[in-house]
Amino acid sequence: SAFVPPEMMQQQQPYTGQIYQPSPAYTPASAQSFYGSSFEDEPPLLEELGINFDHIWQKTLTVLHPLKVADGSIMNETDLAGPMVFCLAFGATLLLAGKIQFGYVYGISAIGCLGMFCLLNLMSMTGVSFGCVASVLGYCLLPMILLSTFAVVFSLQGVLGIILTAGVIGWCSFSASKIFISALAMEGQQLLVAYPCALLYGVFALISVF
Amino acid sequence: MAAARPRPRETVVPAPPPLSSHPPAPPLASGTSQQSAARPGSGTMSAPGAGAAGGGRSGTAADWGGFEDNMQGGGSAVIDMENMDDTSGSSFEDMGEMHQRMKEEEEEEAEGEAGAAEEEDGEFLGMKGLRGQLGRQVADQMWQVGKRQASRAFSLYANIDILRPYFDVEPVQVRARLLESMIPVKMINFPQKIAGELYGPLMLVFTLVAILLHGMKTSDTIIREGTLMGTAIGTCFGYWLGVSAFIYFLAYLCNAQITMVQMLSLLGYGLFGHCITLFVTYNIHFHSLFYIFWLVVGGLSTLRMVAVLVSRTVGHTQRLILCGTLAALHMLFLLYLHFAYHKVVEGILDTLEGPNMPPFQRVARDIPVVSNAVLNTTTKTVALTL
Repeated sequence: SAFVPPEMMQQQQPYTGQIYQPSPAYTPASAQSFYGSSFEDEPPLLEELGINFDHIWQKTLTVLHPLKVADGSIMNETDLAGPMVFCLAFGATLLLAGKIQFGYVYGISAIGCLGMFCLLNLMSMTGVSFGCVASVLGYCLLPMILLSTFAVVFSLQGVLGIILTAGVIGWCSFSASKIFISALAMEGQQLLVAYPCALLYGVFALISVF
Repeated sequence: MAAARPRPRETVVPAPPPLSSHPPAPPLASGTSQQSAARPGSGTMSAPGAGAAGGGRSGTAADWGGFEDNMQGGGSAVIDMENMDDTSGSSFEDMGEMHQRMKEEEEEEAEGEAGAAEEEDGEFLGMKGLRGQLGRQVADQMWQVGKRQASRAFSLYANIDILRPYFDVEPVQVRARLLESMIPVKMINFPQKIAGELYGPLMLVFTLVAILLHGMKTSDTIIREGTLMGTAIGTCFGYWLGVSAFIYFLAYLCNAQITMVQMLSLLGYGLFGHCITLFVTYNIHFHSLFYIFWLVVGGLSTLRMVAVLVSRTVGHTQRLILCGTLAALHMLFLLYLHFAYHKVVEGILDTLEGPNMPPFQRVARDIPVVSNAVLNTTTKTVALTL
């Protein structure tokens, strides 16, 4: 009279899931592989967390070369590790300049991502996920980090500073719009996507400059 | 949503394979009330097969009803994520379709539940197993609540779909409309066409927010109660939405032919003049320059809006009320923005504000002397040479 329903269930019904197996963490990136419970068979930590340094580097290069044609498929996997690192780096460079504004950075990036998400869903034929928008906008923050690093040493409130700031805002928004239109297939609307990105990065620039 | 109802039925056939398993499932399952618990997992590809198999299974293995009927067709208590349809990146049409399907399922389930409730009540004392009945009911209720919340969230999401046609523009169109917003029309005898588009006005409002922020930062405006960003956004959006609504209400009273979206669009494009004026005068500080810009640029954009409204209104009194109100509000807003959001000459500040300290505390600080002096002398020489 032992209580054995799980085993009986396995014998009776066709088993389509893996859930009753005592398997370790479920990894979205490699759904088909089956990990045993031994230490040697466990996947590497980065793979389990879904952090792929090679992809991060590829995306960073895409942002840094504004004239390089973006591949629409690189944004298929939502990767928020890179953007998080970039936001932290931006806050850190502001800290070096004496401005403790992590809260502003996070708040504005959250609101900005939400706004862009709504706008892109309204403007594109296929929808876009929030993770994708956050990922793209986070990666394109990289030139802004260069600007705030420059602001640590030199003041940006002169004519040179204004020109540099305008250039960096243009660079960021151009990269972001380039990736968005290649991922969403919105030809001819790059300027329409670039302008709201420019406004968002302009607010970040305001934080760096003032 | 009524108009959108036929759409999911039409698009069932070309829908991607994972979702096409949905329509067969409800008719299969609605007959058996016991499948109501199994349908939560109907996002899986195994749903139709599980539905049929589950129906047979629960008939034969009635004594194990407690376990089986609470689980999905795959026999696992936990939702099998591998096969769960992840629609986070899917299109709007799929979302709307899923929402429709969930609504239909909910309605059918409501009918199924009503029928099942009586037989369950009768069988409760007959005891299939306390765990079975109660567990099933609890799972059912939890699923109902969850589904209701999800469908409410979906309907909120799908409401954004209503705004889609207003964002379908091209850069050339936006540029043309921006330039047109500064040119008053001459023909006021028949109604002028207004582009019912929301992209341009929305971007112009955000630009105005950015310009205000810039102006506040350069003049080191301190806002005691609130934040700079919040104040700027509140002012600009409040003006755009509030004055549009007010003028729409007046237009309704004065029998003018204009819809709310058209009014939003008209007023939004009218902010283009404000953006230009403020962008120039926040950086070059001459009051006379500001007044010239206020009259010319602000006046042109106001004249355009007024002309369009006049062309759509009949009767002198009505025209006067509507256009007078709009002109006054528009011009006064520009005046307010200029004086409230950037550095004010210290003399005026002292005489006007005096002992009362408003929440907006404008404190004149050290201005970056060099760049300002450069700009001022440049414009002075330009004005002298002209």
